[in-house]
Amino acid sequence: MSHFLDRLTFFKKQVGTFADGHGIVTNEPRAWEDGYRKRWQHDKIVRSTHGVNCTGSCSWKIYVKGGIVTWETQQTDYPRTRPDLPNHEPRGCSRGASYSWYLYSANRVKHPMVRGRLLKLWREARAIRTPVAAWASIVEDPDKRASYTSKRGLGGLVRASWDEVNEIIAAANAYTVKTHGPDRVIGFSPIPAMSMVSYAAGARYLSLLGGVSLSFYDWYCDLPPASPMTWGEQTDVPESADWYNAGFLLLWGSNVPQTRTPDAHFYTEVRYKGTKSVVVSPDYAEATKFADLWLHPKQGTDAALAMAMGHVILREFHLNRRVPYFDDYVRRYTDLPMLVRLVRQGDHYVPERQLRADDFADALGETNNPQWKTVALDAGGKPVAPLGSVGFRWGEQGKWNLEAKEGAGRDVSLTLTLAGDNPTARVAFPYFGGTAPHDFVATDHPDILTRNVPVRCLELKDGSTPVATVFDLLCANYGLDRGLGGDNVAMDYDEDKPFTPAWAERVTGVPRNHIIHVAREFASNAEKTNGRSMVILGAGLNHWYHMDMAYRGIINLLVLCGCVGQSGGGWSHYVGQEKLRPQTGWLPVAFALDWSRPPRQQNGTSFFYAHTDQWRYETLNVAEILSPTAPAGDWSGSLIDYNVRAERMGWLPSAPQLKQNPLTIAARAKAAGLEPKDYVAGAVRSGELELSCHDPDDPANWPRNMFVWRSNLLGSSGKGHEYFLKHLLGTKNGVLGKDLGAEGRTRPQDVAWHEQAPEGKLDLLVTLDFRMSTTCVYSDIVLPTATWYEKNDLNTSDMHPFIHPLTAAVDPAWEARSDWEIYKGIAKAFSDVAPEVLGRETDVVLTPILHDTAGELAQPYDVRDWKRGETDPLPGRTMPAVTVVERDYPNLYARFTSLGPLMEKLGNGGKGIGWNTEHEVAFLRALNGTASTGGPKLESDVNAIETILSLAPETNGEVAVKAWEAISRATGRDHTHLAVHKEDEKIRFHDVVAQPRKIISSPTWSGIESESVCYNAGYTNVHELIPWRTLSGRQQLYQDHLWMRAFGEALVTWRPPVDTKGIAPVQGRYGNGNPEIVLNFITPHQKWGIHSTYTDNLLMLTLNRGGPVIWISEDDARRVGIADNDWVEAYNTNGALVARAVVSQRVNPGMVLMYHAQEKVVNVPGSEVTGQRGGIHNSVTRAVLKPTHMIGGYAQLAYGFNYYGTVGSNRDEFIVIRRMNKVDWLDEPEPAAPMEAAQ
Amino acid sequence: MARTYRALAALLSYPTEALQAATGEIAVTLAEEGLVPAPQRAAIDALLRELAATDIYELQERYFGLFDRSRTLSLHLFEHIHGESRDRGQAMADLIELYQSHGLEMAPGELPDFLPLFLEFLSLLPQDEARAMLAEPAGILRALADRLAARNTAYAATMEALAHLAAAPDIGVSDIPDEDPDDLAALDVAWEEAAVHFGPGEQADGCSTDRLRTRLRAAARDASRPPAHDVASA
Repeated sequence: MSHFLDRLTFFKKQVGTFADGHGIVTNEPRAWEDGYRKRWQHDKIVRSTHGVNCTGSCSWKIYVKGGIVTWETQQTDYPRTRPDLPNHEPRGCSRGASYSWYLYSANRVKHPMVRGRLLKLWREARAIRTPVAAWASIVEDPDKRASYTSKRGLGGLVRASWDEVNEIIAAANAYTVKTHGPDRVIGFSPIPAMSMVSYAAGARYLSLLGGVSLSFYDWYCDLPPASPMTWGEQTDVPESADWYNAGFLLLWGSNVPQTRTPDAHFYTEVRYKGTKSVVVSPDYAEATKFADLWLHPKQGTDAALAMAMGHVILREFHLNRRVPYFDDYVRRYTDLPMLVRLVRQGDHYVPERQLRADDFADALGETNNPQWKTVALDAGGKPVAPLGSVGFRWGEQGKWNLEAKEGAGRDVSLTLTLAGDNPTARVAFPYFGGTAPHDFVATDHPDILTRNVPVRCLELKDGSTPVATVFDLLCANYGLDRGLGGDNVAMDYDEDKPFTPAWAERVTGVPRNHIIHVAREFASNAEKTNGRSMVILGAGLNHWYHMDMAYRGIINLLVLCGCVGQSGGGWSHYVGQEKLRPQTGWLPVAFALDWSRPPRQQNGTSFFYAHTDQWRYETLNVAEILSPTAPAGDWSGSLIDYNVRAERMGWLPSAPQLKQNPLTIAARAKAAGLEPKDYVAGAVRSGELELSCHDPDDPANWPRNMFVWRSNLLGSSGKGHEYFLKHLLGTKNGVLGKDLGAEGRTRPQDVAWHEQAPEGKLDLLVTLDFRMSTTCVYSDIVLPTATWYEKNDLNTSDMHPFIHPLTAAVDPAWEARSDWEIYKGIAKAFSDVAPEVLGRETDVVLTPILHDTAGELAQPYDVRDWKRGETDPLPGRTMPAVTVVERDYPNLYARFTSLGPLMEKLGNGGKGIGWNTEHEVAFLRALNGTASTGGPKLESDVNAIETILSLAPETNGEVAVKAWEAISRATGRDHTHLAVHKEDEKIRFHDVVAQPRKIISSPTWSGIESESVCYNAGYTNVHELIPWRTLSGRQQLYQDHLWMRAFGEALVTWRPPVDTKGIAPVQGRYGNGNPEIVLNFITPHQKWGIHSTYTDNLLMLTLNRGGPVIWISEDDARRVGIADNDWVEAYNTNGALVARAVVSQRVNPGMVLMYHAQEKVVNVPGSEVTGQRGGIHNSVTRAVLKPTHMIGGYAQLAYGFNYYGTVGSNRDEFIVIRRMNKVDWLDEPEPAAPMEAAQ
Repeated sequence: MARTYRALAALLSYPTEALQAATGEIAVTLAEEGLVPAPQRAAIDALLRELAATDIYELQERYFGLFDRSRTLSLHLFEHIHGESRDRGQAMADLIELYQSHGLEMAPGELPDFLPLFLEFLSLLPQDEARAMLAEPAGILRALADRLAARNTAYAATMEALAHLAAAPDIGVSDIPDEDPDDLAALDVAWEEAAVHFGPGEQADGCSTDRLRTRLRAAARDASRPPAHDVASA
């Protein structure tokens, strides 16, 4: 064959391969390319971001095609930084990039939903009754009420129209306001900064109603109380770009690449510049890869580590050698030179309160607030009252600054130490490290450590009194031998005495040479750079019961090295607070301050502790945490007793407030012929009025209606989850322990005990969400809200200085509406329904003594409780303030949708300063139009946004100048140069839609926006000499309040975790034959959820194990036969949870790690112990309050919403963990209720 | 043009009192048009009787529990095809375009891949075209019918009728081979992704049965191999 016909004449065959066979030529169709082309064909790109749970505040491009959101990518148009500083972008992470999944996911809440049984009852009642009467007929009938409350969480939701659900909610609210009082209508929503208009919508409705907004920051335990204690500041931190200015970075209990992903690049970049980094983390967390040195103390022993570092720094940089920069810094910016009175206790002295000008016969020449002016010695040894203390802040102007002067204007240089020519005294310090729970190390040191302290006796009004400087007390407290003789001090780091490195090695497990090395390098860098050493810290430390000790230990390192307020230095706590930059513009909109003041605001932790009845199970006795050096006095009672005392003394808020409806008080006062405030003061003493806090289980004192929005209260943040289910909701729950009554333990003294605990306090739980969260599953009414790509809003963060928007890329899908529209709709329905029972009403509002008001100077020395007859009840001084507020219920909607008259009448302001705002209101009238009430319109979300932007100094340069002028009057120094160059700059909504905008410097914050430095907290305190808002006006390292001293925390010390006693009652009772082990339970933030998305996003779940997991060490797992991916169960008295085990070398023996907020609604089987579905991480936790967090009416220790108060710590819990035998998915229909177990 | 599709759409919609009142009309339509064969019609009759006789709240709770609270029973077709993939948005945009090319604008309030909406669209098409188009998601209809049957709900009848109309092959959940989750090698095989190839031939995407198999396998991924527990009530 010639193969003639095999040859082609007119064609040639395609070349088969090329590149040595690595390439192949094909001729397939190229249609697949269309997929990529289509992705980049879109109708528009819209700017938005992720609006509740992420501090990242990253701007995103949302791609829209045919009215459908197709995908999102990171925006890259942030304004540039300056030369030698990396730009902010790219910002955004995998969580954010997967968010668009939610819009059309099967888990979306699509329609307004109502519990079917409730809706049926409602329609039957409504057919024959008016709305409020219909609601009354349901909730006043115990059987009808229980028919739906007992089914919460068990399915049974049906759809209803918006008009119908709005009417139900309005009727319930009106009934509750009329029958019980407006303070029985409660709302919970967190983190306003991330979508401030959505937050404001609900808060505005509640505030106009007289309802109560609950705080979140303290409840989440993200509030570090050490910050208000030390600085009088909720939390103020450097932006992440400032990490790049640091010379030494200590990353401590924060997992930056995992939980601050968009900011982590600054951390990477600064290491290329040569900055050294030490990471402190008990487990091999993702951040440890950044470490030049990784310290891994036993979890929860960070305070001990910080104490030892402080010991080294004081020894080497303050005592053996005085670093001039540090020495100058602590004299001018801290209370270390201030004098403390010493009082006799047995055969030694204990430090008492800081000396005040009023202690001297001549009050040191001070006539205004001499009781609130702290005292130091000048270089000549003469007592002086230096400027800046809180006494100078109120009642006079121009002297509240940090100039080195005393009241009469004379220059002074303060004395830091009395060591040298002065005698010494034996001063007692408490030591708590002698007892520790479970496997925590207890050392054999006595519980009182006496040390010699140099003292001087001063002639005071009450005689000759020994005093010492805070600096000398601090050195003694850290156990430093200064050659003054006496015990319990060390010259050598190897001595096993508190708080040497050798001692800390024993407690923490960190080698002493590492501790010494890190402390030395940290301080040495600060010395060379004037304070460019920084600590990034977070929830890893702050969620422990004694978080204050870890935080204050670290703050002391920074303060002693002059790092706070210096670029590239300072304290960087990034957990949950998420700075709402245009705060003073937002407050009036959010809390309806334009119509009535004050709003009702309640600290979340104390509220939930009381009303989910967690106090009925309290196992921590006050005696266990009281200091062995506590001043004489009655320190009996339980934790809730202390909270109640704080409430009645006006320290903490209280909601509900009075057993009697607050709408009836004014009439009673009138009948008695008294002013309401005088009437209330007299009536609470006589018992005619009763404070609700004394009996939270009396039905008259229950919270009745509750709104949850922008939050997954029950699925993520509800510490003591099972107690919520049992007592607040009254449904199936997994509480395993018994209450104090059943256990025969000591009951509270000041709180009434009911043998039968209430189950189901709430009449109505309403949740707004876009996804069917765990909270929605338990709610009576679920309202479909717009996602973050379907609404207009504003977003700011502490991580960067820009303000940028959420904008509606598409209309809300299905029947969803934005939060603003939802609450507006409820307000409209309420105004329609209210006249049935409510008209114009007089409400009497009780508020605690507030920080940043003159009221914060309440009781300067002792604590006097009117209830115990120690003083008279004086509103605003020894009890809550009493204010009369007029409510106009039929016009609530008109008020909601327009800016009220008080902005022009009273002006605006914040943090203790105020300014006139008439010009801005006139501008808003022109911009938004004028409403029927005469004020500017607040109809739409954009109206609200423009109002916020116009009123805030951060976004309106004209207001910024006014604000700086206001604070200049207080300090007597001109600060307007910080904003005057921006006076004409006005940031409007359309500006931020076009591009993120950098905000304008404002006295609301302690840092500045500038072209030469990054935002850094404390900057204006150090560089503008504006005092910190504390007792001494300086960084307050000595906490002299009576309760601080009683609980042993006047100075920082080491306190081991508390024993929550949750194991013994259950251990061995629920055995399934598998070996069990008791481990510490830690709940950090994860990589696959929380920030930007929740843990039900399948995209993210696919990247992990697809359901709940709990991490356990190889050693512990081996001991009880747990293999990787086994189903395990963890339980204690609080409840039980199930998860798969991740067995990992990453985790230390002794602890398990369960990432926070894994949803109960995704891949969670039933528990062998409770028979209920799963449980969540909070099923094994319970909030435990700390009395020092209840202090109020005392300078920086005065209440502010989300500023100070009890916190919901949860890391001191232990659990029993074991392998499960049977994984029951609970999807066999129950015969009696076939539909309830539906998937 | 078949009103049968509209009748089936109504049966898969959220139950209302209007639907309860219309059960007779639905039965008549199905019988008259005869698209649904008699055995399936008998099953649908049972559903119709249940709809007519049961308390409306009970029906609504049931519907919510089945279709609103479950990913595996979602009536949004692309939940089963694209799930969490980025292709979903584009697919919806394409579907809207398809409706527009037939001169139809969607009323607001639903997504284009909602099965009852899609069925209403089919009711406006010539019968042959409608059948052909219904055949595209045939695999999904089969899987949904099997899952509903496994739950012993009368709603299975409607989906069974649709699967039949779509001439769906019998490759339901029961056809997925058992996997031993403790056998890591077998797990690896089951989970191994096909290499991406640029060329003709079936891709593991779109509405193919391969794609569906993969997704069903994903849903069944569990140690004790329970049905897919993605959304569970507490």
